[in-house]
Amino acid sequence: MKQYILEAKNISKSFGNVRALEDVNFYLEKGIIHGLLGENGAGKSSLMNVLSGIYQPEKGSIFVNNIKQTNLNPEYASELGIGMVHQEFRLIESFSIQDNLTLSKSNIYRDDFKNAFEKYSEIFSLSVNPEKTISELSVGEKQKIEIMKLIFNNSSIMLLDEPTAVLTPQETDQLKNSLKRLSEEDEKTIVLISHKLKEIREFTETVFVMKNGEMVAENLLTENVTDNNLIELMMGHIKKSVIDKSNKVGDAKLNIKSVEYVDKVNNYKLLDNINFEIKAGEILGIAGVSGNGQVELANIISGIQVDYSGEIFINGQDVSGKGVKSRKKLNLSYIPENRLGVGLAPGVSILDNSIVKDYFKTRRGPHLSKTKTKTYLENLINTFSIKAPDSKAEISTLSGGNMQKLLMGRELISKPEVIIASQPTRGLDVNAVEAIHNLLVDQRDGGSAILLISEDLDELFKLSNRLLVMYEGKIVKSFDINNADINNVGLAMAGVIE
Amino acid sequence: MNNLKLFKRQSINELSTFYSFLIGFVIAIFIGSIILLVQDKNPIDTFSLMLRLSVGSINSLSSSLNKAIPLILAGLGISIMNSVKLWNIGAEGQIFLGAIAVNYLYINTQFNSPTLHIFVLLIAGFAGGSLCILIPAITKVVFGVNEIITTLLTNYIVFGITIFLINGPWKDPKSLNFPAAAYVGEEVFLPTIFGKLSLGFLICILFTALAHYLKNKSVFGFEMRIAGGSALTAVYAGINARQKAFIAMLIGGGFAGLAGAIELLSQTHRVSTGISQGFGYTAIIVAAITGMRPLGIFLVGCLFGALSIGGSVIQTIGVSAYISDIIQASTLFGALIIQFFFTYQIKKVEND
Repeated sequence: MKQYILEAKNISKSFGNVRALEDVNFYLEKGIIHGLLGENGAGKSSLMNVLSGIYQPEKGSIFVNNIKQTNLNPEYASELGIGMVHQEFRLIESFSIQDNLTLSKSNIYRDDFKNAFEKYSEIFSLSVNPEKTISELSVGEKQKIEIMKLIFNNSSIMLLDEPTAVLTPQETDQLKNSLKRLSEEDEKTIVLISHKLKEIREFTETVFVMKNGEMVAENLLTENVTDNNLIELMMGHIKKSVIDKSNKVGDAKLNIKSVEYVDKVNNYKLLDNINFEIKAGEILGIAGVSGNGQVELANIISGIQVDYSGEIFINGQDVSGKGVKSRKKLNLSYIPENRLGVGLAPGVSILDNSIVKDYFKTRRGPHLSKTKTKTYLENLINTFSIKAPDSKAEISTLSGGNMQKLLMGRELISKPEVIIASQPTRGLDVNAVEAIHNLLVDQRDGGSAILLISEDLDELFKLSNRLLVMYEGKIVKSFDINNADINNVGLAMAGVIE
Repeated sequence: MNNLKLFKRQSINELSTFYSFLIGFVIAIFIGSIILLVQDKNPIDTFSLMLRLSVGSINSLSSSLNKAIPLILAGLGISIMNSVKLWNIGAEGQIFLGAIAVNYLYINTQFNSPTLHIFVLLIAGFAGGSLCILIPAITKVVFGVNEIITTLLTNYIVFGITIFLINGPWKDPKSLNFPAAAYVGEEVFLPTIFGKLSLGFLICILFTALAHYLKNKSVFGFEMRIAGGSALTAVYAGINARQKAFIAMLIGGGFAGLAGAIELLSQTHRVSTGISQGFGYTAIIVAAITGMRPLGIFLVGCLFGALSIGGSVIQTIGVSAYISDIIQASTLFGALIIQFFFTYQIKKVEND
């Protein structure tokens, strides 16, 4: 039998009624880079949090160096040499690099900081002064310091939760080499979570795949497994669409022509040569793992972000250089991904939030008509069956589903010609999802052109007439929904394009 | 294992602020009584004397309301700024600069009609207050500098300017070396409406209505609320959040500046350090207690005006005037604590 440095057996963990992990087995060999693959919500981060002692599993056991560990907590896990890099940075922004690296009491290079920092700076191709404060660093440099922190804390098992999500392609390449050297020279055991098949292929020796809280493949040798295999494991089978797609399609309502958007700080193209059009009565789905330019695209079309190059036509009118208000006047609605915080203002009443889109319609000169506003909200509540008992209460007193219905209702009541819906059902329960899907289909049948941005492939296959896949700021593939194959979509999302 | 956790209440009673103020006030009277008892004074006697001497006659009532004017106006200014979730700690300085602007204009202009003259001087006061908050407003919207710190610091700057003016260029040779500017002429004194109550009180009522309209009825108020709730939502809705914050700050400063103008034209009649006795700070308490509601600010402002008159008269029986400060501050404390229980409920939950 093989010796494993860490072994987790039959781990189960749930949050309320949601099963995050179901009978999961996971084991790591010393000095090897392991990949952990899975869609969002598959349970990858939950598993990592269990291993690093942050979550206590309800069932199952964890062995470190063949010794069974009960009551694993973060402090004890770090003593055992298990360290984790979270998706969000856990650095103290106002402290120097040195202070951040030597903060933990399990630090091993406190007395020999200078030499150790030089050594690992070389491995990570990092050239900054350790006296610099974290807030002065770039995102890529912060990520390197995060990983370096594990080494300084003497972690022999390094759990990295999507470390490449915030990195540019060049930085990702550098990281690959650094991790390779750490596993070879220091015998570090590394777990890399990623959505990108290319990275799994280049970084790792073995790969685990999770789906819906279960481990569907264990310890596959990366070089023996095909991309198609991995995608099939990750995505499984999809329910075929039940929505009639034979509705009438009219003229183009939204045209996007060679749109480009550059992140000026890192001089990096967040959107690269985007072209598409949407016709009246059509839902165009955009698939892609989040962070591949979808938010930027939605913001640019809605007019929030105006420093892009290229052309956008709404209803045949060139809107380049026009702001949010004038685009709204062309009957464009935007349902942003961030429900509370962008679409709705927290701390403000339901009534106020209900008129954010159309408040110029409920005004009378400089005066905001109370009756008109109330009628407006009542109309929304009745049309979209929203449960909002007290219109003066803060918006956050509503449930997620009702919040989203209010937001969608507000954006849809005026029968918009163009709708951008970004992750419209994220985090909602089944009934709310169904209600929101029906709303979108109704709008489609009413002749709206709809851009649907989602990470949920079920949703995209169910609603879209056509499907585009975004990857690293580009549209890498386009599918007609009738001929689209889920595995091909999955491959394109993971960056594999034949 | 059981744990206590806080949950935000689904709906909050509309009068909750009023109830928490009442309970807070009772708590404050209770605390005040204990302090009086420790000093061997009878609280009932003391408080009834305070009541009699602050609202018992036309004269005392009008003094109390006069004291309320700067509290109310500065408090309204604070509440307007709070619509965009900004805090104005600089009302004190704005009051002084409002008075300074009035005096500057008074010295340098001539008007034939006293009514017009007073009117222009009041506008100058408003402008002075706006001017005082201009730098914090610019640094806030351009660089994002915390307005709490900058508005607080301008207080010290303006106070320094005041000291300089009344000891230097504006020093009145007839003031027997007391640092103060010369009195303004009687023609620009604000007329009284009954007893000693100055016309300023009518202006106060007018501005309370104005603030209420601006905050709760106008489109501008709506835009301020959205911008204050989330800058991202404002951008998304096409509302210029920075512009709203900037304008709200200038208006807020202007209200306090107007208070300074009224104080100068109706009470002190000259620029000295006595233009404000901490009105700008007490106004923060007034605004906070009422949950930033203009009508509430008006009522609590009147009460606090009476309290400070009451506090100053009971010194004659050997009780420190600070008792009224203690009551004002404890009312805020009590009200904030009670408001917490109106907003949240504490529930036992099982640990997961």
